[in-house]
Amino acid sequence: MTSHTHRSKIPQLVFSLQTLALFLLGSCSRIDHKQSALDPKGLVAQNQYDIFMLSVWITIFLFCAVGGCLLFVLWKYRAKSKEEAMEIPEQMHGSSKIETTLIIASAVILVILAVPTLQGVVLMNRVPDPNDQATLEKLKLDKSQIEDAITVNVTGKRFFWVFEYPQYGIVTANELVFPASKAVRVNLRTEDVIHSFWLPKLAGKMDLMPGQENFLWFIADEQKIRSGIDKDGNPYEVDAKTAMPSVFDGKMRQTIFAKQAFTDEFEAVGGLFYGQCAEYCGNSHAYMSFRALAQTDEDFEKWVLKFRNAQNPNLQPTAYSAENTYEEGTVVTYTDEQLGENNRREFRALKATAKGQTPVTKPDVWEKVHSDDYEKGKILFGTQGCAQCHAINKTGIGAKGPNLTLFGLRTSLAAGWMRNDEDSLDKWLRNSNEIKFGNLMWNGEGIDDRHPLRQLQDDDEKVSQLVTYLLGLK
Amino acid sequence: MSDAAVHALDHHEPVTSTGIPNKKVLMWAFLGSDCMFFGTLISTHLIYRKISATVGGNTLDVRDIFDIELTSFSTFILLASSLFMALAVSAIHKGNLKSTRWMLLGTIVFGSIFLACQVYEFTHFVHGKENKNGDLEHQLTLSAYAGKTLEDGKDAELKPHVFGSTFYVLTGTHGTHVAIGVFWLLGWFVYSFTGRMSTAHAIDIECCGLYWHFVDIVWIIIFPVVYLMEYAF
Amino acid sequence: MAIESIKYASPETESKLETKAFPRPGQHASGIVDWLTTIDHKKIGLMYGLAALFFLIVGGIEALLIRSQLWSHNMEVLTNRQYNQMFTMHGTTMVFLVIMPLSAAFFNFFMPLQIGARDVAFPRMNTLSLWCFIAGGIILNLSWFFTGGSPAIGWFGYAPLTDPRFTEVIGDMGPDFWIFSLQILGIASLLASFNFITTIINMRAPGMTMMRLPVFTWMTLVVSFLLILALPAIAIALAELMFDRSYGTNFFDFLEGGKPHLWQHLFWIFGHPEVYILILPAMGIVSEVIPVFSRKPLFGYGLVVFSGALIGFMGFAVWSHHMFTTGMGVVATSAFSILTMLIAIPTGVKIFNWIGTMWGGRIRFDTPMLFALGFITMFMIGGFTGIMHSSVPIDAQHQDTYFVVAHFHYVLIGGALFGLFCGFYFWLPKITGRMMNEKLGKFVFTLMFLGFNLTFFPMHYLGMIGQPRRTHSYNEGHGFEAWNQIATVGSFILGIGVFIGVVQFIHSFYSKKLKPAGKNPWDARSLEWTLSSPVKDYNFARTPIIKARDQAWENNHGEKDNHSEKQPLDDHGVHMPDRSWCPLVTAFGLFVMAIGLLFHQSIDASGELARDYTIAIAGGVIFVVGVIMWAIEGPRGYHLFPKENEE
Repeated sequence: MTSHTHRSKIPQLVFSLQTLALFLLGSCSRIDHKQSALDPKGLVAQNQYDIFMLSVWITIFLFCAVGGCLLFVLWKYRAKSKEEAMEIPEQMHGSSKIETTLIIASAVILVILAVPTLQGVVLMNRVPDPNDQATLEKLKLDKSQIEDAITVNVTGKRFFWVFEYPQYGIVTANELVFPASKAVRVNLRTEDVIHSFWLPKLAGKMDLMPGQENFLWFIADEQKIRSGIDKDGNPYEVDAKTAMPSVFDGKMRQTIFAKQAFTDEFEAVGGLFYGQCAEYCGNSHAYMSFRALAQTDEDFEKWVLKFRNAQNPNLQPTAYSAENTYEEGTVVTYTDEQLGENNRREFRALKATAKGQTPVTKPDVWEKVHSDDYEKGKILFGTQGCAQCHAINKTGIGAKGPNLTLFGLRTSLAAGWMRNDEDSLDKWLRNSNEIKFGNLMWNGEGIDDRHPLRQLQDDDEKVSQLVTYLLGLK
Repeated sequence: MSDAAVHALDHHEPVTSTGIPNKKVLMWAFLGSDCMFFGTLISTHLIYRKISATVGGNTLDVRDIFDIELTSFSTFILLASSLFMALAVSAIHKGNLKSTRWMLLGTIVFGSIFLACQVYEFTHFVHGKENKNGDLEHQLTLSAYAGKTLEDGKDAELKPHVFGSTFYVLTGTHGTHVAIGVFWLLGWFVYSFTGRMSTAHAIDIECCGLYWHFVDIVWIIIFPVVYLMEYAF
Repeated sequence: MAIESIKYASPETESKLETKAFPRPGQHASGIVDWLTTIDHKKIGLMYGLAALFFLIVGGIEALLIRSQLWSHNMEVLTNRQYNQMFTMHGTTMVFLVIMPLSAAFFNFFMPLQIGARDVAFPRMNTLSLWCFIAGGIILNLSWFFTGGSPAIGWFGYAPLTDPRFTEVIGDMGPDFWIFSLQILGIASLLASFNFITTIINMRAPGMTMMRLPVFTWMTLVVSFLLILALPAIAIALAELMFDRSYGTNFFDFLEGGKPHLWQHLFWIFGHPEVYILILPAMGIVSEVIPVFSRKPLFGYGLVVFSGALIGFMGFAVWSHHMFTTGMGVVATSAFSILTMLIAIPTGVKIFNWIGTMWGGRIRFDTPMLFALGFITMFMIGGFTGIMHSSVPIDAQHQDTYFVVAHFHYVLIGGALFGLFCGFYFWLPKITGRMMNEKLGKFVFTLMFLGFNLTFFPMHYLGMIGQPRRTHSYNEGHGFEAWNQIATVGSFILGIGVFIGVVQFIHSFYSKKLKPAGKNPWDARSLEWTLSSPVKDYNFARTPIIKARDQAWENNHGEKDNHSEKQPLDDHGVHMPDRSWCPLVTAFGLFVMAIGLLFHQSIDASGELARDYTIAIAGGVIFVVGVIMWAIEGPRGYHLFPKENEE
């Protein structure tokens, strides 16, 4: 979209406006915005983009041809004077030859678009067969990229996303972590109204229809993720680690947050993708966005492992029992008076312990795993009604709110609406209605004015404890 | 059109471009549209027919609900009413007002019998059938269905179902059509006693006839699609 | 039982009839009674037009509120629910209360004139459809004042968002108002279409063969057929939805066996023909205007007519292209994709023919012609983006983004509304008898053209860089702000243009200063231009005998053989039917019935759902009384005795 040739040749207002606008769009503005379909970073989106550009050129050609013809006619046959306007030209009724030619010509042009369209339909709907060498070669894919594809079950809820990885038995929300080198099969479901999963740079969109399961797939292009064009227009390329900082140890979050403003985040790394619900789904439809984070294979595996451990019920810290001995590094829970009656705190064994060495009687053997604020926040999470809707460290299928397991690793808050840092989380907890008017946490099912959440507004201490707890989940 | 022909019409009917009276064109246009109404309803029913067999694990055998003998009878009655309608149209064309009147009455009576059957059918479907023990079972409401009575004699639970929705709305719409037709015919029947009725009204009766036959034909489609098909496959 | 056959009574018997039965407003009715009871297609057309222009302003204000909200990120002009109500009401209003009735206004006013008829086939039914339309418009806008406010479901109200289960306001009545309003508007459109079909098929003047019909009349016929075949689908869908909402059926309730998919199919089986229902009248108008201002007959008349009919026909076979992203599978999407591409061919044919018409002509750039040219260029862009959407992979990115918003506004404003404004500038002199100010007209065109492109062209780009439609807010950092601001500025320019245009139209009815139009100010071609401006009550004093396609042109410039003739004056004068209260009463009955059904549910003291049908039954009674009165009030009328050339 960078040609400049037509501009000077076309004098009329109609045309110059149209073409000017078109070229303005093409050359003067950036196309790599957060959610831009003009900046594809994956095979499927690239295919959609290519067909789109083909259609753009076809229609620009047609517009110039037909529009040019129209302008020529208007110019040539305009009535130049009042007398001429009263003349009677030849009363011609038509020409079947011209008509037929034009009909056939337009049919041919449509065929040019129809062929890639049909190929594109197949590509969008079906992951290529890993044994079909010819197709794989054409698409420049490795057999393993398809064979090792990961599956994500996406469930849309008003107004957030649940991402379930059936192969690993883990559930997360609003941030889809995926390996950049592998195909990702996405099964789409909804539990309420229709939503639409739109990941412009990777896959286009597909609706989540109630009562049926839809499918789309995508595969990122690592090369494209690693390269880009900087502000001065120079192409650059970075290594995989820089383009896709690891999620599991919080590098992704740090790298993104190193940018001063939320608005600049997407420039930080190539592996950060933005998505959005595209089918009107109710009051807060606009707020239903999500992110997809590309990872190297290695980092993805580490993330999965960490998540699995966090959500594995067998790996949760058990209550301390005086009958047991504990090895070094074991985490147990034990009543701690500091936190109030009957509240338990997590302790880690610094060395192997003998029977009866409780964390209280032997403080030198046990250390507190978390700060006081964290533990208090955790208690608040239970007592303030948060746990009714949000699951932490369990898969919590069917929970009303987003799963908050390892929330401290997330880059965004409130379904991708804001940066997940202390300030935003503080604001969010105090009055989420001000940020996302009508959100369910504030206004939703079964939550009324007396809900403890609303009383947190002025309680600086409790809010900060909750913030500490939530961001400490990593 | 020759002068004589124009004279013969004597301004009773405006001369039309096609020679077909306006009312008839209107009626045909309406029936074309009505086809789409019923087409939509019948497709809805057909789309749901298969999936409506089991909804949420609640299996529905429509045959347990239907009373096919009654419906066959009412179908026969409706078809017979069409005969009366045809005779009424023919009579008015011949100027036989008396015959027209009684044929109209015949159509009205048969139409009403059909409606009565439908009302009976609906009421019984909604309330369910009594089994040997006097328990109610096989209840079909707009939104739910209850299967067989439980073994301990408790009524079967009404469970959400889609069959009742499509069935009642489709056959109910048809019933409404029949009812409108009956009232329309009733209007003409009453009018025939005013002494003003003449062959000039032939076109009006004919339009009634078109409507009535159409409603009849629709039933000929509904009966196999909704009822008979459940017994076949 | 409506007895519309005209019985020509002699003046004596006529006065005898007058004394019998109940009164029917006669020849000398005036003022408000005249307007309420008129059965004159011209007055009905006018009322259609004025009501639609009023709703155009209403819908326009809603649009401007939407645009203000999108000025920048996280704006708070409207809350999210208000915004969602705005776009729902804007869409519904513009489609059902503006474009359709504006087309109906032109159909009503000009179709009978173009075929040489004195009125439509069923004048009282015509009045009924007008009042039904008004009733529908009122019901839709009444929704603002009741529980939940206006519907917030989008103009296509996708299930299951309309299901009470997923309502976000307890007891939300918005969707109910929406359902009943659309049902009544549907009745209005159906009645009008039956009427137009009968009129065009049956009431053509002698010699006015089908292939001599002006293209506008042809498009009236095609659109009427589209309406009668497409409306039933949505009428049934709405009925099913009403049953779902009020009586607990499970048509669209996926938790109990229903399929939300079905709603989409039913809606778009109506909705896609609806698109052509909106655009074909404008194409008809443009096909009238371009020949006039090029002083040449329409190039390839047969093909233009045929392509119009073909577009209508194919319009029924492409509905699923609105549903490419709903997971219909490879085969269905491919088939609908190809069919949709094919529909571009007859559409292209029309554009070729318009250009062909201008080729070799003497083109004058009066306001109607400017709007016609604006129509062609804007519609072309809308058409091209339409071809893009027909390709499934492209649609996977475009669906539900601002690109689609841009596309259909290019078709519906740049296309339909420009076409209808073209019609206003072209035909208002015939209606009012006065020419409008050309300079002001051109100014309006410039504002509208500029404002329109400023508003909607950036939306293509906005859609591509990721702005989804129907979002009341967007986050910063997407790069949406600048383009949205251009669009908002443009929308206000467009709004001002439209407003000035509307004021100009209304003004031309009153202003005595404007130049009289005379019979044929544009040297136009079709039959209505042989009549005086404004047109007399009886249209034609003597029924014309048509000899050629462009009869007015042939009369002025053609060979002697092609000049139209006239049937002799009738001795008993021109029979004029009396006015009638019945249509108004009948429509009022429907209105009351709808209101009764809207409010029939309540929660009684014990918390049980109570149903009270009193008002609905009262409405039904009024309706039936209206129909019975209608049937028995019988044909009556009076006679006018115009002189030879008074027409």
